[in-house]
Amino acid sequence: MILHAILTVAAVTVSSLAVAVFPRSVLAFLLFQGSLLFVYLARIPTWLRATLLGVALLVLMPLIGAYNGYYLEVATQVGIFVALALGLNIVVGLAGLLDLGYVAFFAVGAYTWAIFGSPHANVIFGGGFPLDPVWFYVFLLFGLLVAAGTGILLGLPVLRLHGDYLAIVTLGFGEVIRVLANNLDKPVNITNGPKGITPIERPPTLLGVSYGEYFYFLVLLIVGVVILVNRRLEDSHVGRAWEAIREDELAARAMGVPLVRMKLLAFACGASFAGIMGVVFSAKQVFINPESFTFLESIGVLAMVILGGMGSIPGAVLGATAVTVLNLQVLKGLSLWLNELKNAEVIVLGYNLANLPTQFEPAKYERMIFGMILVLMMIFRPQGILPARRRQRELAELATPNPRHVVATPP
Amino acid sequence: MLDWPLLIGILPQVVLDGIILGFMYALIALGYTMVYGVLEFINFAHSEIFIVGAFVGVEIMLGLKSAGLLEALPWPLILLLVLAAGMAASGALAVVAERVAYRPLRGAPRLIPLISAIGISFFLQDFIRLVESLWRNAFNLVYPTIEPLNHRFELTTTIDVSVKALVVIAAALGMLWLLHALVNRTRVGTAIRAVAEDQAAASLMGINVNRIISLTFLIGGAMGGAAGVLFGVQYGLINPYTGFIPGLKAFTAAVLGGIGNIPGAMLGGLVLGLLEAFAASYLSLLTGGAFGAEYKDIFAFSMLILILIFRPRGLLGEVVRERA
Amino acid sequence: MSALLDVRGVSKRFGGLTAVNRVDFGLEAGIASIIGPNGAGKTTLFNILTGLYAPDEGSIVFRGRPLVGLRPDQIAALGICRTFQNIRLFANMTVIENVLVGMHTRVDLGLRDILLRGPKFLREEGRLWTSAAALLERVGLRASANEVSRNLPYGDQRRLEIARALASQPTLLLLDEPSAGMTQGEAAALMALLRQLVGELALTILLIEHNMRVVMEVSDRVTVLDHGEKIAEGRPAEVQADPRVIEAYLGRGSGDRTGRTRAQR
Repeated sequence: MILHAILTVAAVTVSSLAVAVFPRSVLAFLLFQGSLLFVYLARIPTWLRATLLGVALLVLMPLIGAYNGYYLEVATQVGIFVALALGLNIVVGLAGLLDLGYVAFFAVGAYTWAIFGSPHANVIFGGGFPLDPVWFYVFLLFGLLVAAGTGILLGLPVLRLHGDYLAIVTLGFGEVIRVLANNLDKPVNITNGPKGITPIERPPTLLGVSYGEYFYFLVLLIVGVVILVNRRLEDSHVGRAWEAIREDELAARAMGVPLVRMKLLAFACGASFAGIMGVVFSAKQVFINPESFTFLESIGVLAMVILGGMGSIPGAVLGATAVTVLNLQVLKGLSLWLNELKNAEVIVLGYNLANLPTQFEPAKYERMIFGMILVLMMIFRPQGILPARRRQRELAELATPNPRHVVATPP
Repeated sequence: MLDWPLLIGILPQVVLDGIILGFMYALIALGYTMVYGVLEFINFAHSEIFIVGAFVGVEIMLGLKSAGLLEALPWPLILLLVLAAGMAASGALAVVAERVAYRPLRGAPRLIPLISAIGISFFLQDFIRLVESLWRNAFNLVYPTIEPLNHRFELTTTIDVSVKALVVIAAALGMLWLLHALVNRTRVGTAIRAVAEDQAAASLMGINVNRIISLTFLIGGAMGGAAGVLFGVQYGLINPYTGFIPGLKAFTAAVLGGIGNIPGAMLGGLVLGLLEAFAASYLSLLTGGAFGAEYKDIFAFSMLILILIFRPRGLLGEVVRERA
Repeated sequence: MSALLDVRGVSKRFGGLTAVNRVDFGLEAGIASIIGPNGAGKTTLFNILTGLYAPDEGSIVFRGRPLVGLRPDQIAALGICRTFQNIRLFANMTVIENVLVGMHTRVDLGLRDILLRGPKFLREEGRLWTSAAALLERVGLRASANEVSRNLPYGDQRRLEIARALASQPTLLLLDEPSAGMTQGEAAALMALLRQLVGELALTILLIEHNMRVVMEVSDRVTVLDHGEKIAEGRPAEVQADPRVIEAYLGRGSGDRTGRTRAQR
């Protein structure tokens, strides 16, 4: 214990210093993130874990952002995808419903604010838009509700479908939303088609922080709430009903679990997380178009859930972080590094890298990465890197009305 | 009001387009339906197996072109060569995919091999891109034209059809007939049908189930590869991502006909092709330009959703019941 | 005494096969059994009673309420619960979680209670856990409460299924071959447990069974199905001696299985 405590504190301190000293080094930032994972997994008392993570996320990360703004951007993106992964986790991981069109809910949330929070709505309604930026906060809730509603609409017809068919139908829905987003610029211009919508308003920032920092903290806050909601749902008769549905739908039904209601609830909850993040996303990006909401994104979120562990909250966090960092930093870093090598005309194994075809760009190979993650995980570790922990209940404490949950220590 | 002469005037062309599209969907759909029949598994990667055939075909043709042979050799020979190569490549790829990514997961709950298949699909898309980027520094490729194929016949004053279209239709028909003969008139075909009915019983009858499954992937993949070559010949432009949408639509066709049912896949393909051609041509005319051909994709997807919800067994399929 | 369950003229066809053919059947308190050769339609009848299949004809009335057309979860809420011929536990959930799911219809919590996790939630969850633990105690599985149910030995899995079915406090419990795969000793212990439950919980139990000794010892009433039709009904001793029943089982083996005692053979 003591050893772990010392190591974790050291890891966090050293890695954050490393980032401060080498702001351009991707490796340093990765080390910093690695140290956070270490803090999560180490055998240290809960208070130390909470303190370290709190300090790292609330203090160190923004400081790192001061040294290199891009890292803060990466952290914010990670946060957004963590929320998405947690949402999909409910649908796929808990309830066992393979939704391949999940990004549609993200799109719905994003377009909801984009339309009303930009001058675009004037095209539809004649005038009066954009709304005052403060409305953004109202739209956080509104986007959540619209997405949840879409989730229920999607859920209703697909309820009776099983496994494969459900997956394909949700895929179809996702594609329908994408095509609609691309083409609903006539007869009434709702989405402005492939041109996208811009400029989207941002709410006024608080306490004079920069927008980078503002969105970082906002995302962090929402992710915190999402995690809380997830845990409470998981640890209730609703969460147990979802798992029962995933395990054996027939038996669940025979035990009195109302399938329709539970499945719709799963869809609605999952969709609402995507919806609220969609609103944040559009305000942060200031510009959205249908290109951000394709099948690739849906599979990306699925890869996150699979990598981390289906039905596992820490798994979703890890998966989202790993995949986002992979895309935003590692692949991109590889591209940049390769370009440097090409420019320097480095020779590898007798081959001059300057001769590499110009079309070859590692940053574009997200699909290959997602694909490999999915296949390799399914074959070698389908339960994910941080599998869902069967929460051990201490029955002896049942004398008190509050059953104590003891989370089994990770291997 | 509706311009009836125009609407009727374009009808033959629409029907022709629909038939060509339909046969192509049918060929791809066969791959889905055969695999589903034998394993109850949707081979999500089939859309990439399809497009690999197209790529192998284009590479051969581009190779012939740079060797100056494209004009020299008779076009039926070129076509046969390209078809054979495409079929072989796609078939082989399908078998490899099965061995590597599906067979290890055969006992697992249904979601797991499906996710693996999705992974293979995505992997292959970028893999093709990688290979083509390194080999040719381009991955948006165009099928070189073969002059004789572009000649157009005039059937009547308003309808003309290109040699290319006729060739594609003939080739597709040939493939379909070959498959029909294989499945219904050979021992191998009977074995495939037996395994599709009841794996356990088939193996008790002495059938090597694993070999038959590999063979099924081979044949289904080959059909997809043939479709890929014909797709390239007919439409010209391909890239590693062009397989996705036709693949999804072909799956719709397979479901429409009754998944697992081979004649169903052929029928479903044709029906979907015709419906889509009609949607593409008439939607814009009927709605006064409000909703045009770009909605034809939604049309196919909506079809899929509606079939799966209201008649999941499709047109020719059987009802599947779960026993408690 | 009015009947708890009244089944009239129920039939079910699957394609060309008539699985259940105009069966009339009534249940009162106590333990009743349905027996019959394989394929007689027993499990199909269970599936109809629990709403998994809709009968092609006939009516089913339970405590005055018609059941035909209701969904399985609605029927469970009315007080009928079941186990399955092939064990259908929630394999990756723990033993106690399985029982907790069984209580789903009796949980009095809404979404808001869950999200707020206030005193009401804690109280209700506590009650659920306590009841679940008590149920496990009753079937003798308390010690394995935190085991993943998949890891349980076969006999324990059967008992867990029963505990799960009891979790919803049903009035009628349908058990599909509960003693399958058990030794005679285990089966006897199970039957003693069932008798106890009937006495303590005001429960009615309907069994499908192949183990004749068990059936004859524990049942108040036995119904015999063959090829989808009811061929006999009555007290165990009456049914045992019924020539039609014997004929249905003819050629199926030694006296043990036909239920005849040594003296009768």
